[in-house]
Amino acid sequence: MNASKGISVGCTGNQVYVRVIGRGTFQNGQPLRGFALEMIDRGYKEFVVDLAQCQGMDSTFLGVLAGIGLRLRQNGNHGKVHILNINSSNMELLQTLGLDRLFSVDAGLMDVGKNPPPPETGFRRLPDSDVDVLGKPLKKNETTDLMLEAHDDLVRCDDRNAPKFKDLTKFLREKIERRNTDDKKTDGGTKP
Amino acid sequence: MKDFQIDRQARGNVQLVRLSGSLDMYSFPRLETQLATLFQQGQYRVVLDCADLDYIGSAGLGALIGFAKQAREHGGDVKLLNVPERIYKIIELLGFTKVLQVHSAEESAVESFATK
Repeated sequence: MNASKGISVGCTGNQVYVRVIGRGTFQNGQPLRGFALEMIDRGYKEFVVDLAQCQGMDSTFLGVLAGIGLRLRQNGNHGKVHILNINSSNMELLQTLGLDRLFSVDAGLMDVGKNPPPPETGFRRLPDSDVDVLGKPLKKNETTDLMLEAHDDLVRCDDRNAPKFKDLTKFLREKIERRNTDDKKTDGGTKP
Repeated sequence: MKDFQIDRQARGNVQLVRLSGSLDMYSFPRLETQLATLFQQGQYRVVLDCADLDYIGSAGLGALIGFAKQAREHGGDVKLLNVPERIYKIIELLGFTKVLQVHSAEESAVESFATK
């Protein structure tokens, strides 16, 4: 399949299928996160992420996947993220960040007998998920929040990630704290 | 997607490091090693020429802040040069332009160290 770039999703049975076509970054991590949270709320417990056409992922996108994995295991739940068709460089990233212990990972082709994906017509591309052709401008606050949450989730998965991202998380945390302080000042100023 | 490449040359006491390709989690350790080597040699004045960079990941940007901070503690800095518009929009959106100096001309980037 030579589909257009972006994040394609489909659901079948109790599983959510996610195909990353092109690059997974903080730019398309947001639509994936929104979709995943909605599916988890609806009761889906298994996410299958097919990386056969994934050209690479940044730490925010991996943090979004980690966040999905962590949520699926919250409150004694036994949901899981299954990674399929991963190449060696993406596998190295997962191992470096300790995510290979959170996800089940299969470097080979999808076992279609065990985990049949939806038919092609059952897939749809998430809006604004093609990082080369983003439909609307990124929102500063949403993007900052997403990046911090994603990297905090990476640290939650493996505390050896803390020093790797300390400069970034410190910067983002301070930025959000400043924003919150400014918001409080503004709210205080406008109250009668 | 182009392979990531690093090319370094000295401009007086400033190190000009040209980056090309994708600076992602996979390639970032190479830049990390390059900068660490320069710092070990006492070279804390660094300009990263991003003209041929087609992508930079979030972790890479975050780590650059750390390197810039480290360089400043030794009287230097890590500055960006020729950042493609597409990448500039992202680093501006995230507020990185407030902590990382960005220049559009090599001369101004190199000379900015002299005026410190």
